[in-house]
Amino acid sequence: MATITIQHLTYAPPARETPVLKDLTATFRGGRFSLLTGPSGSGKTTLLRLIAGLTPLPTTGTITFDDQALASFPATTHSRRVALLFQEPSTQFTMDTVTNELRFVLENQAVDPAQMPARIDAALAFVGIAKLRDRSLMQLSGGEQQKVALASIVAMDSDVILLDEPFASIDPPTRQVLMTKLVQLCHERHKTVILADHDLSGYDQWVDHLTVLDHGMATQLSAAATQARLAAFTPERLRLTQVQLPAPDTPQVLTSHQLGLRRGTRQLLRPQDLAILAHKTTLITGPNGSGKSTFFRALVRLSSYDGTITYRQQDIQKLRRRTYARHVGLMFQAAQAQFLNVTLGEELALSQKNGQHAYFTPDRVAAALKALQLNGREDQVIYSLSSGQQKKFQLLCMLMMAPDVLLLDEPLKGLDLASIHAVRQLLTTTQADLKLTLVLISHQLSGLDSFIDYHLALADQQFSYQAQEVRHES
Amino acid sequence: MNPSLKLATVVLIAFEISFTQVLTVNLALIGFSLIVLVVQRIHFKTLLWLTAVPLFLASALVWSLALQGDASHHFLAVIFTRMFVYVYLGATFTQTTQPLALARSLEQNAKLPAKFAYGFLAAFNLLPKIRAEVATIHAAALMRGQVLHFWSPQLYFKVILAAMNWSDQLADAMTSHGFVEGAPRTYAVTIPLRRRDWLLCGLGFVVVQIGLFVGLP
Repeated sequence: MATITIQHLTYAPPARETPVLKDLTATFRGGRFSLLTGPSGSGKTTLLRLIAGLTPLPTTGTITFDDQALASFPATTHSRRVALLFQEPSTQFTMDTVTNELRFVLENQAVDPAQMPARIDAALAFVGIAKLRDRSLMQLSGGEQQKVALASIVAMDSDVILLDEPFASIDPPTRQVLMTKLVQLCHERHKTVILADHDLSGYDQWVDHLTVLDHGMATQLSAAATQARLAAFTPERLRLTQVQLPAPDTPQVLTSHQLGLRRGTRQLLRPQDLAILAHKTTLITGPNGSGKSTFFRALVRLSSYDGTITYRQQDIQKLRRRTYARHVGLMFQAAQAQFLNVTLGEELALSQKNGQHAYFTPDRVAAALKALQLNGREDQVIYSLSSGQQKKFQLLCMLMMAPDVLLLDEPLKGLDLASIHAVRQLLTTTQADLKLTLVLISHQLSGLDSFIDYHLALADQQFSYQAQEVRHES
Repeated sequence: MNPSLKLATVVLIAFEISFTQVLTVNLALIGFSLIVLVVQRIHFKTLLWLTAVPLFLASALVWSLALQGDASHHFLAVIFTRMFVYVYLGATFTQTTQPLALARSLEQNAKLPAKFAYGFLAAFNLLPKIRAEVATIHAAALMRGQVLHFWSPQLYFKVILAAMNWSDQLADAMTSHGFVEGAPRTYAVTIPLRRRDWLLCGLGFVVVQIGLFVGLP
């Protein structure tokens, strides 16, 4: 039960001039569940990594655990003090199976081998995943992996538990289980829990103090203000006044017959017939981890699936990969996956050469770059752009290819309002001029109304087209 | 047999036959490896690959040597079989050794720093991820109208970039799960290094030495 005090912490990541954290001072009380919030890019991850000791502390500012400076802890006792659960479930393991990972954790703490089986059993039982013990980590779902990560922390018996947006890619029932376990750790084992999340729904009964991180500074809200803020938070509502149920005779571009999707042993989509309609814009929504991205990967033949998918009446497995890839394109959720070259200029030249150059004339490209605030950066290395800039540039590169069907996986993620506006504008004009079929997955819903024709919701392992005005679930 | 000792034996024998020219020993090693592989129930397809690749390389090498120089038939046969010895011996090792057991043995018996042992293991566990990454890069390129072949530098540029990213993630994962470089650790599973292992290793060596230096063709 350690109280964490941060004083006058200023931190700028290497190779960046503007600090992410500016003279930050905050206290997280011992044995409590603290919630840390703030817009994306506000420095939540940076702060948690500093507290966890994964990022070396800068010379200015101190972090103390019960009046003992973080810098003075011997490295060997560190994991007993503090542990961090990552946002991306699959990246936090060293070993192959659940048991081996837990053994690794205990070996690192130099626990007597004779005590290990009992501690592993207890940790797995606490999280309720005893049956996963011999499973391979890579074959678990994101939610199961987060449970294993929590079990590792329970086995380490760390005093302070930090969680960085742990629910970003897992389904609501798993989130509920993890929340209950965290509260139990807090109340029964007196652990200090600090959880970072930008989505504040479902915390009101657990959290007494909210810390808001913005512009590099932290503000701690009083109990009353916290409750008011949590009560006022409603997940962004999806207001689609223009969507319709597709008419039966609408032309289809991608048709699937008895399409079924799986991740490991878990069924994501029960076999069903589904059509994507030509020259329209369709929005796909559904809870985290429900299989939206997997659906996209199946459509571009990067994931296996059951049943058949046809593109303009031809089985996509029978089309040449090369040909099919020019007709159905995917804008990956991770922007860097899309790029093949080093500088922006080279990347643009590639899209210009192989893409729709009749429409994307140099003038039009220059105008688009300006609208996206990317002009004058042709010689810059793509990987030195901020993630928001990469996202915008990625979209432009894929639009210039103008495939018949363009699948967009979270195209607005992490963009500021001005950028969202510019991106929407660019998408609308290009779609109207080139008659593209756009399908997008987006958690960012504001301002999509006028732009969406159809709304496809994934719930209970089934896709269904929705009529107007539906509340978004996650 | 103890994994570290087995690795040492295989590497030393391969090293020795690189500098000697005894066809009988090469053939005996090939025969021995094949027996072990069959007993270990190696997949027929894997064995076919393990044969086809060295067959191609060895044939090319022998053919060019035969055309170029005045190498004897015996020398050509030694070169030809040597390639198979390397591949089959290597396969014998990988088929009979769990990567995790090797990592543990390297840490406990060979006293390799834990960082290297687990780094090796993590790299091994990354293989499926690398395969998926390569498929994604291929697809991303096709969507941009570019076909990447296995010799395309862009493919390697992207894979190396991804690997660098993973290595940072892995370092964080190890640290956050309590790994500290050079700190004392306990072992959940002890890999024994018995007298029997030394005996087997020594015996194998002696047999190969006799074969190499007794004057066999």
